[in-house]
Amino acid sequence: MNLVSTTWQVLRKEVLDALRDRRTMLVVLLSAVLMGPLVLVALSALIAGYEARAENREVLIDGLAHAPTLVNFLQRQTYTVRPAPADYARALRDSTLFDAVLRIDVDFEMTLRNGELSRIEVISDSANRRASASQSQLMRLLSAFNQERANLTLAQRGVAPDLQRVIRIEERDLAGAQTRALQITGMLPFFVIMAVLYGALNAALDTTAGERERGSLEPLLMNPAPRMAIVIGKWGAVASVASLIACLSCLSFLPAQWLLRSESLQALFQYGPREALLFVVVLLPFAAALSAVLMAVAIRCRSFKEAQANSSLVMLAVSLLPLVAVFNPDGDSRWQSWVPALAQHSLMTRVLKGEGLGIEQWLIPLAVELLLTVGGLWLVGRMLRHAAVK
Amino acid sequence: MIRIKALSKSFRTSPTARAQGLGMVWSVFSRRPSHQRVQAVRNVELTALDGQITGLLGANGAGKTTTLRMLAGLIAPDSGTIQLDEIDIVARPADGLARMGILSDARGLYPRLTARENIVYFARLHGMSRDAANARAATLADLLEMKPLLERRTAGFSQGERMKTALARALVHDPSHIVLDEPTNGLDVLATRALRDILRHLRTGAGGGKCIVISTHIMQEVEKLCDTVVVVAEGRTVATGTVDELLARTSRSDFEDAFVELAFTGVSQ
Repeated sequence: MNLVSTTWQVLRKEVLDALRDRRTMLVVLLSAVLMGPLVLVALSALIAGYEARAENREVLIDGLAHAPTLVNFLQRQTYTVRPAPADYARALRDSTLFDAVLRIDVDFEMTLRNGELSRIEVISDSANRRASASQSQLMRLLSAFNQERANLTLAQRGVAPDLQRVIRIEERDLAGAQTRALQITGMLPFFVIMAVLYGALNAALDTTAGERERGSLEPLLMNPAPRMAIVIGKWGAVASVASLIACLSCLSFLPAQWLLRSESLQALFQYGPREALLFVVVLLPFAAALSAVLMAVAIRCRSFKEAQANSSLVMLAVSLLPLVAVFNPDGDSRWQSWVPALAQHSLMTRVLKGEGLGIEQWLIPLAVELLLTVGGLWLVGRMLRHAAVK
Repeated sequence: MIRIKALSKSFRTSPTARAQGLGMVWSVFSRRPSHQRVQAVRNVELTALDGQITGLLGANGAGKTTTLRMLAGLIAPDSGTIQLDEIDIVARPADGLARMGILSDARGLYPRLTARENIVYFARLHGMSRDAANARAATLADLLEMKPLLERRTAGFSQGERMKTALARALVHDPSHIVLDEPTNGLDVLATRALRDILRHLRTGAGGGKCIVISTHIMQEVEKLCDTVVVVAEGRTVATGTVDELLARTSRSDFEDAFVELAFTGVSQ
């Protein structure tokens, strides 16, 4: 019997079978393909909210009339000054007010003029995240006001203000636009890896443990078809489904960037067709290897449920390994290329950073994936006959 | 023709309760055997001729299913030979399978495929062309009276409908040898009668003069259907002959009494 044609027949049937499982496919599509873009859009809405607040140069003051000098200073910094609402303390606590409030004593202006220590309270609620963000802005403004007053006093007494400063601090950020963008797009590789996992999982379990549970594996092996053709056909189908989900997931981030509400985020989001294509190139061999590994785990199990329990170890490894890159302060080390899931994660991160990829960085993960695929398929082939009769 | 000689097979049993979980770790260190062997088939002899229905009759656990699985090449025997025409099944299982249609104990279908797709899939695995497979599916649907089922997904099928689909799947390559493991399991009276008629038809020259082997533990089945009966007990063939011959041998008038005598008193002798 022709090995190639048998493999093709098995592959066709298994793909058809997997695609007919509409409900599962729908769940996979929703969770794996739509999840990433949705999170991205939600995040952009949040960031847009912060940006709007930052642009809104407004200071709320309780006791506005008591501090004409401060108000003058704030207005010179192009801030609008408004009196705080009457019940601002409660509003802050209930998170209905999103700006910290300055409270000024009645004798503020007088103590200021006499050169005594004047008091300003910055009122915020640390449980109210957005108010806390505006609090640090107020602190900077007040510190600038403090500096200006001190400089004026020194100048009046004939002291050069520079005597107070021994160093001048200048900040220079070396990060390029793509590296900055990585702070936001950094979660993309994680999402697409999970998409591949969920894409492969159901098909892999159904063609092995599911087939055992239904009692259809024994009749299948009572065909004269070569065993390896059946194994490769099944694996090909699982890998195809996983690859399909991988491609959809990679492409789903393309339209997502049009939905981004924050303009600065949109500018930072460096994910175009080129990146999508490179992601797919990284993920296809990974999908193939993962399919083989999942099948090898599942063929040992008598039921779909047992297989799900057993494959949770693989799922845990695939979802946790990329985190090594997040927590590892040493940056990319060479050994990471040898670890599946982690290697793919760092490859995709490099793509997002716009860094060039060396041949070694491609070849090592590919070799590992090839090894996993061949090893997994060999195990499935060895177990298949035994699995059919037990 | 199928000829089985001096067939034997033993299995390792599942670990004993003691040797599960932590006990398994312990058994590795203590080197105490955690598995026992069970002799499923000791000495089965069977000859099934073309144009005849041969019944493999035995109680539960007598070794019927194991014997048929060895015939299907799924498990290798410890000793003994299985011959299908001129083919040695143990050495060339694939060649044997090409000539055999087997309805095994496990007869699971693919629930998301239609009956036709289930049947055609197996035909394609036998190397048949798409057209030939579809034509054969239509012929079998006629024979098994399952035409209305063909385009339905098998998910909601009744036992009888599943059975018909599985049988059609097993017969799709028009095999010269048909092996059925407890084919009437779960079938109602009408379906059972229909199945008997089909098997009788397949035995005749018009039906192809097939060599048919069925395993069963139902006496009625054997009395009504089989030309030759092979009685197995505790993994051994204890008697072979027609129903009448076996009745005469035990001087009984009721076949059930004859079977009990052959299977349960014969073994201890």
